[in-house]
Amino acid sequence: MRIAYSYMYMLLTVTAVLAACTGSVDGLEEENFSNTGQGVFILNEGNYNSGNSTLSYYNPETRTVENGIFQRANDRKLGDTGQSITLHDGVAYVAVENSGIIWGIDAETFRVKGQLTSSQTEHMINPRYIHFLSDTKAYVTDLYSPFITIFNPKTFQYIGSIGVPEVKANGYASTELMVQYGQYVFINCWCYTDLIVVIDTKQDAVAGVIHLKTSMQPKSMVLDARNKLWVLTDGGYGTDTDSFGENIPHLYRIDAETRSVEDDQALDTDEATVQIAVNSARDTLYIINNDIYRMGIQERHVPVRPFIKAPVDKKGARHKLYGINVNPRNGDIYVADAVDYSQSGVIYRYSREGDLLDQFRVGINPNGFAFK
Amino acid sequence: MRKLLVFPILFTCLGMMAQDTLRTVQVNANRLLRDTGIQKTTLDTLFLHDNISLSMADILSRHTTLFIKNYGRATESTAEFRGTSPSHTQVLWNGIRINSPMLGTLDFSTIPGYFVDETNLYHGASSISISGGGLGGAVELKTRPVDFQGTTLQYIQGIGSYDTYDQFFRATYANEQWSSSTRVSYSTSNNDFLYTNYDKKVDIRDQEGNIIDSYHPKERNKSGYFDDFHVMQDIFYNDLKGNRIGFMAWYSYTNRGLPFLSVDYKDDSEFTNEQKFNTARAVISWDHNLEKWNLNVKGGYQYQDMAYDYFTRREEINTDITHSKSYTNTGSIQGEANYIPNEHWLLQANMSAYYNHVRSYDRSPFHIGDNYDLGRMEYNTSIQARWRPIQPFSMAVVLREEVYRDDFVPLIPAFFVDYVLYQPWRLALKASVARNYRYPSMNDLYFQPGGNPDLEPEHGFTYDAGLEFCIPIHDVKISGNLSAFDSYINDWIQWLPNTKGFWEPSNVRKVHNYGTEMSLNVDYKISSNWRLRLSGNYAFTPSINRGENLNSNDASYGKQLCYVPRNSANISGHLSWESWTFTYKWNHYSERYTTTSNEVNYITGRLKPYYMSDISLEKTFQWRWGHASIKGVVNNLFNTKYVTVLSRPMAPRNYEIYFEFRPQWKRKSSIN
Repeated sequence: MRIAYSYMYMLLTVTAVLAACTGSVDGLEEENFSNTGQGVFILNEGNYNSGNSTLSYYNPETRTVENGIFQRANDRKLGDTGQSITLHDGVAYVAVENSGIIWGIDAETFRVKGQLTSSQTEHMINPRYIHFLSDTKAYVTDLYSPFITIFNPKTFQYIGSIGVPEVKANGYASTELMVQYGQYVFINCWCYTDLIVVIDTKQDAVAGVIHLKTSMQPKSMVLDARNKLWVLTDGGYGTDTDSFGENIPHLYRIDAETRSVEDDQALDTDEATVQIAVNSARDTLYIINNDIYRMGIQERHVPVRPFIKAPVDKKGARHKLYGINVNPRNGDIYVADAVDYSQSGVIYRYSREGDLLDQFRVGINPNGFAFK
Repeated sequence: MRKLLVFPILFTCLGMMAQDTLRTVQVNANRLLRDTGIQKTTLDTLFLHDNISLSMADILSRHTTLFIKNYGRATESTAEFRGTSPSHTQVLWNGIRINSPMLGTLDFSTIPGYFVDETNLYHGASSISISGGGLGGAVELKTRPVDFQGTTLQYIQGIGSYDTYDQFFRATYANEQWSSSTRVSYSTSNNDFLYTNYDKKVDIRDQEGNIIDSYHPKERNKSGYFDDFHVMQDIFYNDLKGNRIGFMAWYSYTNRGLPFLSVDYKDDSEFTNEQKFNTARAVISWDHNLEKWNLNVKGGYQYQDMAYDYFTRREEINTDITHSKSYTNTGSIQGEANYIPNEHWLLQANMSAYYNHVRSYDRSPFHIGDNYDLGRMEYNTSIQARWRPIQPFSMAVVLREEVYRDDFVPLIPAFFVDYVLYQPWRLALKASVARNYRYPSMNDLYFQPGGNPDLEPEHGFTYDAGLEFCIPIHDVKISGNLSAFDSYINDWIQWLPNTKGFWEPSNVRKVHNYGTEMSLNVDYKISSNWRLRLSGNYAFTPSINRGENLNSNDASYGKQLCYVPRNSANISGHLSWESWTFTYKWNHYSERYTTTSNEVNYITGRLKPYYMSDISLEKTFQWRWGHASIKGVVNNLFNTKYVTVLSRPMAPRNYEIYFEFRPQWKRKSSIN
């Protein structure tokens, strides 16, 4: 019996020792940041359904990068699938799609100033992009909802929504990027459509639609200095049983005033994400179509030769570029490489002449830039 | 009566335990000629039938070195063997493969431990003796005929935290020739456990908007509910002339919500995000036993429909985000012959054919319509020769050939040796070498969009060596094994996103798995009414990417694969005194990386190691007219906050109580 008690004692002792090391998930000490300079926010999308979207901050002067700044400053995760980042009035607004939240973050301290969640609104499901009409009114597009959400970016109060039943296609209602011409906001509708929707901001109502007709899935869009919309499609895709386009990206030029398609050119089949960006003067376009092409807005065609070739390895494998934007202050071009989509991405910073100035690691799947 | 053919048993270490009042059946140390050189772990029924709420995922994570990738309590759980992927673990139920032909994997959370009577794990190359394609290993699940003559009834009622209710009923009947067992279980739970969400923080602001306080909110596990129903019938007939016919049928229905991520801010009352499965499996078998021959013929049928629905119904919004459904039908036939010309030889031949038909369709952001609607034939054949020229030494050769579609997988060879170094301690040295292949799943090849019909089979070499022992010292039995392995897998199939947002598979990785596995079991009969049993396992499993870099920025070369722990360990202890049994279970997984480049600078780049402890106390009552027991369980004793997958919270400390009753109206006798 004494032996049995000894074993009981031993078991309890082991239990007590093991209790001391249970491992854990817990909170962090919030870090204090103060970044008054002209830095660059980089949004890292993360992996869908993993909740590992992060935010990075790059200082071009010191060439230093801070990763994971949102969680480090706020002791909470950014969320699942960060889709876009937009700076407005000293606040970085981040739409985190699959978390159903828009964060407002102080651009200097990285501290949360407020948030708008899906459950605070009537119709927001997966927010994609934010467009500011004023300091107190902004539109939010959505991957699934056939509504544009309106909120007050100062107070993060929900204001209302605009029904856009026109965008429904195959059960989806995808609205994406927004650009404004006068009182009208143009929205490209990516999933399964060839649509550009026009919203009258005075009426908060749909004022018309533009059909691209020759290509599917408008994915990226900018407005140039002559008020021409440049719309880039990914061309859709085909399967053995269905087809949603010919899988050939097209670049369209559309007059914002007349809403007519003025030019339509087919690009190379994309092996990487297609995307378009414009410089601060809005007279030069930068296009990812496997490589990076630079094109003046007066030119009729995308140049034959790329402005910056995507890095190519010894064995000829071309890096798959994932995002692009141009720093409006100095014309530096920032390009994202997602590598294998499951590790830290790489950012290339080029001068306006196309010379590589720097490259650095950020988070998983960097997809957006915002310049202070 | 002609006895069933029994293969020669070299030795039995803990056989006496089967007769013990603990109703344990420890067969871990039995070494048969057919197990020559094989690294095999047999799970004790004490673990399988510990309590009715445990699935095979729970049991494997607590009592083996497999890593169970778990997306939450009672949600999808797949097994990673020796640092490989879930599709590299082959699973057989009563001899037929039950990995989904669509996915190549099996969700172990859908298999209740009480519906399995025997579980064998074949590590690495050893899996080739029962199946091809197990680049990590194979798990064999078996239903056994009833042990005792007469009629038995058993009912167990479980009540647990979060409105969890488990019911289990079993009726058995057996006589000298017939045996029948009917098992029914139904489990339901809201599974809405409360946890502190460290992925969120709530700010309290003053009127000027300044933060005056903040805290991590306590949240419910959203959309984690489940209903799980199983019924299984098995019937065996033995004509006492060397023939045994068996029929096993198992139907299950599962409806479970997919828990929201810890970073989801949507209102779960506005969303439905759930999976529904109907699964039916049936096997009919005939064993014919002669003095030197054993023949076995099996026919099997499996059906599964799986539905995944994710939609929202809000004011003015009826958005269907995903509705996907698949129907899988599998018919199989299998024949096996064993021939023992003398005590030195065992010759085996096996042939099987499977026909899988899958119809998969969905409405999702990337597809509408049929993903594919196809059938695929698969043929497997193997010949095995085992030879023991002298008593301490034996060796075996296995040759296996597999065909899928019209493609022949190259010959799969395996070679095993076994040498008893010291008989009194049953100390034996085992070693094996094998080449193995796994052909792609039907989703890998055909899924639209993304499926890649040009995929090559994954293939590799595995080398194993180890020691096994069983040392009896008076009232103590110590048994265990220690093994080392080295494995290379080429053309590892990996799904990567493409430019359109959907995913495509390709043969991109080359992976080097190596490491050690060890287990130790101690059974100590302390006195006539005290008994202590301890069982421990440890595995060190580096799983390193050695494939070519995708590009010059790819930092994944030489790094541990995502979600594969390098170290895993578990210990369980059972202390019994008369009719009381106290159980303590502990397990540990080291940190897991979430990126292919093993980033440690991100907070989300790795998951912290965790240590889990469960305890239970059981009291049994024995009367002339029946048996009863009451058992209390505390899971996650130390309230560890942990995840096994990013943003998927696991349950904190929780409680269960079980009541068991078995009427008894006649003393039972065992069936020889």
